[in-house]
Amino acid sequence: MEKILEVKNLELSFHTFAGEVKAIRGVNFDLKKGETLAIVGESGSGKSVTTKAIMRLLPESSSEFKNGQILFNGKDLTKLSDKEMQKIRGKDISMIFQDPMTSLNPTMTIGNQIMEPILKHQKIGKAEARKVAIDLLRLVGMPKPEARIKQYPHQFSGGQRQRIVIAIALACNPQILIADEPTTALDVTIQAQILELMKDLQKKIDTSIIFITHDLGVVANVADRVAVMYGGKIVEIGTVDEIFYNPQHPYTWGLLSSMPSLDSADEKLYAIPGTPPDLLYPPKGDAFALRSDYALKIDLEEAPPFFKVSDTHSAATWLLHPDAPQVEPPLAIVERMKKFPGSRYYEGTEGGTY
Amino acid sequence: MAEKLLEIKNLKQYFNQGKPNEVRAVDDISFDIYKGETLGLVGESGCGKSTTGRTIIRLYEATDGQVIYDGINVHDKKSKKDLKSFNRKMQMIFQDPYASLNPRMKVLDIIAEGLDIHGLVKNPKERKERVVELLETVGLNREHADRYAHEFSGGQRQRLGIARALAVNPEFIIADEPISALDVVSIQAQVVNLLKELQEEKGLTYLFIAHDLSMVKYISDRIGVMYFGKLVELASAEDLYKNPMHPYTQSLLSAIPLPDPNYERTRVRKSYDPASHNYQDGEEIAMREVTPGHFVYCSTKELATLQAISGSQV
Repeated sequence: MEKILEVKNLELSFHTFAGEVKAIRGVNFDLKKGETLAIVGESGSGKSVTTKAIMRLLPESSSEFKNGQILFNGKDLTKLSDKEMQKIRGKDISMIFQDPMTSLNPTMTIGNQIMEPILKHQKIGKAEARKVAIDLLRLVGMPKPEARIKQYPHQFSGGQRQRIVIAIALACNPQILIADEPTTALDVTIQAQILELMKDLQKKIDTSIIFITHDLGVVANVADRVAVMYGGKIVEIGTVDEIFYNPQHPYTWGLLSSMPSLDSADEKLYAIPGTPPDLLYPPKGDAFALRSDYALKIDLEEAPPFFKVSDTHSAATWLLHPDAPQVEPPLAIVERMKKFPGSRYYEGTEGGTY
Repeated sequence: MAEKLLEIKNLKQYFNQGKPNEVRAVDDISFDIYKGETLGLVGESGCGKSTTGRTIIRLYEATDGQVIYDGINVHDKKSKKDLKSFNRKMQMIFQDPYASLNPRMKVLDIIAEGLDIHGLVKNPKERKERVVELLETVGLNREHADRYAHEFSGGQRQRLGIARALAVNPEFIIADEPISALDVVSIQAQVVNLLKELQEEKGLTYLFIAHDLSMVKYISDRIGVMYFGKLVELASAEDLYKNPMHPYTQSLLSAIPLPDPNYERTRVRKSYDPASHNYQDGEEIAMREVTPGHFVYCSTKELATLQAISGSQV
């Protein structure tokens, strides 16, 4: 598949009074046309900063690209001038923010807010733009769009507001849509509707989506591929099945184990001990080593490189090194691995195709 | 059966009563909470679950109905003294750990506020010791007492909120979405584990209000589902998830995304249409017990159908 975005060895720092915070420490990934890549990780892992760097939304006074490239259709976004970037932002790459309550302007009608990117990026008149806006509202499932276009954000519910935010993001048929926790502020029933809507729209307009979330249930629902971030780095990346059924990095194990399952018995919920690393003083070795039950000696000394598990799956953990001792993952993970052909715990189904 | 700690009888909370914009946030609900249990209350935003919690603890005056705590009606007119002793028994943990801690107070003073009000400590030394003890109970330490709320992460702040609630040795804690502001599953797990440990240690009773159904299932003994101010289903956690009876509960459960891609690919989401009940005029709809301990808000006709279905399953 065609690559639409390539992030290569990206390093980014914030300058604060306390010193240099190395928020992104060498991130590599690419995004293919029409796919959904989910980035998961806890707050401070660098997932939001990565996407804000792609959108160039970080304050230039305090943030600095230290190294690397963000290639969008061959152009390096880190090198563009503000003016050039403005032509891309909201047109080719657009963003859906987390909180639909605050990401809309309370003093503008929603019609004007949807028309804004259209008028800005496309050479069409106001009347025409209005028609487009009404079509967009209909597309995102808003009833009576002709009437509602004149209303203000406070006249809509949370779910409807998020639909409006999506309409704005889609106004110029973007090639890449970045969704930063788009359903976190919504109820499960509304969340299910919005996720269905996004998947539906993706098929219709063939856009690529970068989906940031900490909800692994949502990831399982929307993602084609998943990147797990920790301490400013990607620690594991693979297809959704590979990450959920054959995870390799101890951090991914921890994340998957701390989700309560609906059919779980009453045992204690697994919580990863400790706190994320302070990126003012990033650790020398594997950033997760201090919180990991599976840390090896070398984890404290040298950061692990990526080891390939399959063509689409790799993980940065020394456990995959040929010389590493073989460890037993947590029980919940072994259960997951049993479902994955190719993992060492796989139990073929009777009479299955394997 | 365990002892009833709290009985909620026909509780109503109407805002703007009698005006055209009247809101029936809580509309005639009744349930009991037993000593030592965790009752989960779930529903979409705006269904009245938080209002129920706030009315129980008397942050709002109830429009009608009774909240009977240990045999005493909470909403009766009471002297200040009675109210104070009641307030000691019942505490609340709030949703937003950013907004519920005073930014201008030190942790020591935030946690000790309840101790001061109820005169539970005699001198500053004892006060400090008690606060340190509480901080340690919730997994923080002595040094944290002299800091301000902004110096803590979300999970740590929620721990402070818990420590504050525990300060006066309450029997009953209302936790209003205590984990939804924590954005990391692993941190949510830590807070939920802490609440569970404290319950075992101190024999606490919880009313746990949330919209995250998988966490609620995990922490609750019984769960009530609310929809537009009404309680529509009440059952043991196990039973509710295995055998949801009210169509709204079914739609709610079918909307939960699970961390399992194979399940997600085949998940069928049900939607709920209140008109599907087709209630006739004059039909009495109420909470009715379908199977032992499993209540559903339904008409007598529906009850018969539900009982027939669950009878055939046994």
